[in-house]
Amino acid sequence: MRTALLTAGAILATSSMAIAQQVEPIEYTLDNGMHFLLMPRDEQPNIITAGWISPVGSVNERPGITGVSHLLEHLLFKGTDNLGTSDAVADKQFRDDLTVIREQMRAHTLDVQYKRFYEGEIDNPWDPVHDTDELRDLRAQMTVLQDEQGAITIKNEFDKVYTGNGGSGMNAGTSNDFTVFYINVPSNKLELWAWMESDRLDNPSLRELDAERFVVIEERRQRLEATATGKLDEQFDSMFWVASPYNFPVIGWMSDLMAYTEDEIREYFETYYQPANLTGVIVGDFDVDEAKQLIDSYFGPLENKRAAAAPMVTHSVPLLGQLRYTGECDCQDQVEARYRSVAFGHPDEAAFDVISSLLNGRTGRLYKALVEDQEIAASARSSHRAQKYAGSFSFSATPKGDASLEDLEIAWLEQIDLLKSELVSERELQKIKNQAAADTFRGLQDNSSLFFQLAITEAYGSYEYLNEMPRAVQAVTAEDIQRVANEYFASDTRAVSMYTRKAGGEVALITIEEVEASLPEEMAAMIMSQIEPQLAQLDTLSAQELAEGLAEIEAQSEMVPPPMKKLMEFMKQEMQIRLDAIESNGADASEGGDE
Amino acid sequence: MRTFFTTALVAASLSATSLTMAADRPSHPSDIQFSELNFTPPMASDFRHELSNGVPVFIAESHEFPLITIRFSFRGGEYMVPVERTGMSGLTGGLMRSGGTASMTPDKLDEEFDFLAANVSANIGDTTAGASLNCLTSNLDQAFGLFMEMIQNPRFDEDRFEIRRGQILESFESRNDAGIGIAIRELGYLMWGDEHFEGRQPTRETIESITIDDMKALHAKIFHPGNLMIAVTGDVDQGEILAFLEESMNSWSVGDISPEIPQPVQAYEPGVYYYEKDQPQVQVLIAHRGIERDDADAVDVEVMNQILGGSGFTSRITNTVRTQEGLAYTAGSVFSNRVDYPGMFMSYFFTKTATTALATRLVFGEIDKIQTEEATTEEIEIIQNSLVETFPRNFESKGAMMGLFMSDERTGRPDDYWQTYRDKVRAVSASDVQEAALEYLNPASAVIMVVGPVDEIKAGNAESEADANRISTMVEFFGGKSTVLPERDPESLKPVDSE
Repeated sequence: MRTALLTAGAILATSSMAIAQQVEPIEYTLDNGMHFLLMPRDEQPNIITAGWISPVGSVNERPGITGVSHLLEHLLFKGTDNLGTSDAVADKQFRDDLTVIREQMRAHTLDVQYKRFYEGEIDNPWDPVHDTDELRDLRAQMTVLQDEQGAITIKNEFDKVYTGNGGSGMNAGTSNDFTVFYINVPSNKLELWAWMESDRLDNPSLRELDAERFVVIEERRQRLEATATGKLDEQFDSMFWVASPYNFPVIGWMSDLMAYTEDEIREYFETYYQPANLTGVIVGDFDVDEAKQLIDSYFGPLENKRAAAAPMVTHSVPLLGQLRYTGECDCQDQVEARYRSVAFGHPDEAAFDVISSLLNGRTGRLYKALVEDQEIAASARSSHRAQKYAGSFSFSATPKGDASLEDLEIAWLEQIDLLKSELVSERELQKIKNQAAADTFRGLQDNSSLFFQLAITEAYGSYEYLNEMPRAVQAVTAEDIQRVANEYFASDTRAVSMYTRKAGGEVALITIEEVEASLPEEMAAMIMSQIEPQLAQLDTLSAQELAEGLAEIEAQSEMVPPPMKKLMEFMKQEMQIRLDAIESNGADASEGGDE
Repeated sequence: MRTFFTTALVAASLSATSLTMAADRPSHPSDIQFSELNFTPPMASDFRHELSNGVPVFIAESHEFPLITIRFSFRGGEYMVPVERTGMSGLTGGLMRSGGTASMTPDKLDEEFDFLAANVSANIGDTTAGASLNCLTSNLDQAFGLFMEMIQNPRFDEDRFEIRRGQILESFESRNDAGIGIAIRELGYLMWGDEHFEGRQPTRETIESITIDDMKALHAKIFHPGNLMIAVTGDVDQGEILAFLEESMNSWSVGDISPEIPQPVQAYEPGVYYYEKDQPQVQVLIAHRGIERDDADAVDVEVMNQILGGSGFTSRITNTVRTQEGLAYTAGSVFSNRVDYPGMFMSYFFTKTATTALATRLVFGEIDKIQTEEATTEEIEIIQNSLVETFPRNFESKGAMMGLFMSDERTGRPDDYWQTYRDKVRAVSASDVQEAALEYLNPASAVIMVVGPVDEIKAGNAESEADANRISTMVEFFGGKSTVLPERDPESLKPVDSE
């Protein structure tokens, strides 16, 4: 047995055989340019994963509208001219009336409030507590209109129609480079999917825009402020990318979140969500001819209303020195060392992926060296992220015992020196290639995983990547690894972040005591008695259930009376923490997803 | 308010948008006509084979990817472990995977599995044990060889044993932290006893008494072909894999088949039981003996329970206790069926101290109502549709399907169970539901397990409730008779002297 294992030749034969597999979806393109990848499979009978992707994300934004890709993703769940309201004509009137008020408030804020802000009179031009009389009056008018519109709004009708027809796992995600929408439906409900998705691509209402803005602001607060390292990571990211629009946070800068006009949002929608810019992906148990007919009749009539989106122009500039960022948070002490690498599809991408695999895992170099042998790290890992226009490679670790963050950085530099100076052994390299070959297939077995890979690679370039990348990984040599390590891991041009635990503890997180103090006395005892079982219940939820729960709370947030706001924020915080924990364990299929 | 668009303009722009859509497109999704979802459940016999030593093998080929998954399932588990070694099955299963083999250190074994890109697991549960291998087709020979060595000759490495044991003992320290954990533990002691595997719990003493030799002995009893069933899915040729498995069995001697799963002997005393814990909210479990899984009335009972409390917001207990009264966030009911003996019915809710009695009264009220009145046609149809629509998900993947077939054979499920399941669901009538409620819900023989501040719970809501009809105290149940259970040390689970 053991001698057989050491016969490298046999194993090599294995891998080259294994990677001969092809992912070959049926391609179908409508006259309006909307592209489809159809992947019929009978491995999971009676169920379909369907969705569509637009190659638009925060990288396509500009100062003033950062976060608009993500806000738009939220708004596309708010119904259409006809779905989500019991009176389409009156609803349109309300939306137009609200637009007028919103424009007036914006103009006043940019003029009067910004001036007060620059002069140091107020700390946030958008905060309602600083409202002038005029703003207060406009805001009151807005509230009245919103309440009246609310009476004819059918809340979450989009969601209810899908759920009532056996749809499950409905969600969407926005990243720096793409925005994707997806759901699982029973095999006989493909027409429902075509109806619902073509309807929102044709005439999204952007209803509840003002309320949703606050939902996103809450989400921003959750992600960046309630998560331990969120705020710091955002600035470290922004610093790392220098000129490239990857320096925008996907969720947007706070000032911009308040400022979008409906015209800006509509223009963005009509530019990036016109059919010629979209790819639909259907995976699962369906009939191809029938799917094509449904695609023709539902997506065929969609029109391209604007000129094609302008290409992304600004690329990053090389780092010329070391960037070092230190911060304090309610977090474990941790260090990250990050390097510029290569964009998606670059010839060196495969070598970076192999390096990352060499370092990771129970039998990988980082665990053995930093955790087991030197006993200075509680955890240590590396990752490579090749995005559409640029990439990054990072090492991160948390210390153990008396080890300092500097000790970890030094240990990491030693690992780099090893990569630079010594060729990786044949057996170690082969281990990585064997795992890569097997993991490629494992990742394609499940409908939804296959859906994401087809959609995202298509948004980045072409699904052909799914066939080409495994071959490229198998072709990586020990010399390639050494060359890439020497070329990219220059000691004078890395970015390093070091976070240490803030003294005094939990400042940023909302505590149960704060919640209790915020509640009206007569309700406090009753509500507080419910919190613990609710938290226990949260512990049992899956990532998807948590995400759905968060979306549900967000959808209802404008109906929450002021005394309950803190409680709601607390529950959202607790759900987000659990969701983050699950996702950081690698359970989330949508890399970089933001919804 | 300033200038607004006119209504006419709005109407015009709306009709302009809808013009862009196809003429034959239904105007609302509810108008779409959907075809029936045709689904015939697969038959186990179409996938079943047998090795010459009698080991059943379920095979489902799938050549989409060059991957193979082999699952070994063994009869045997914690029920075979003597009570003074409680907890040994979990420890043994975990160490089979992490503790190396006779010829390989744990590090070496991990390295070999990683090199072969093989995902491998091993475990021992209450009544079944298992091991699984997922690898590339082309690596099957080598990976399967290591896999078999792990199953047949595990090393139970001393260092890894120490680490794992330490982690388990550490986890015991927090066993009294969560009220629900206490409630389930104490209910288990009451319903099943402290010797039967369903009720007993590992303690520091039982874990510390376990030796490597004990684990080797348990391993030898369970992991042999006499107890084995195999499921294979993926890129295999049925004939080839059967011959391959046949050969692998050659030198593997058959031991004694694991014994029958023991029946619980504990007779429990109905009544109210308290466990004192200073906490703002109270966990209540109302339980009594349920039914066997293959009982002729099991489907009727399933539909009945979904209406009563088993289908979330749709069901009555949730609706009454949570939605209408706002007394609890979590509230419902469940029948946990067992194969070899009647399982357990349990209704549960978490509420604030003062309303414990009121919520309990409401649950008993719902039990009474479903026993004395027929459920509505609408209630029954919603549950029937839901059970029928989600039925195909039992067979969602080939792996899940083969797992189901193994479990069905191991537990002696009737051959036509899945073929007739949906017809049985559709046939359930309002009188069937009521009869099931009358026969299988027995509030008079229930155990009411309550964890929280006992004196406050007993006092009920007289002080805080204005409506006399809603004032309730625990005296209402079992004539006010109750037992306060002793508090236990979290590590030894022995009663601690209170006061």
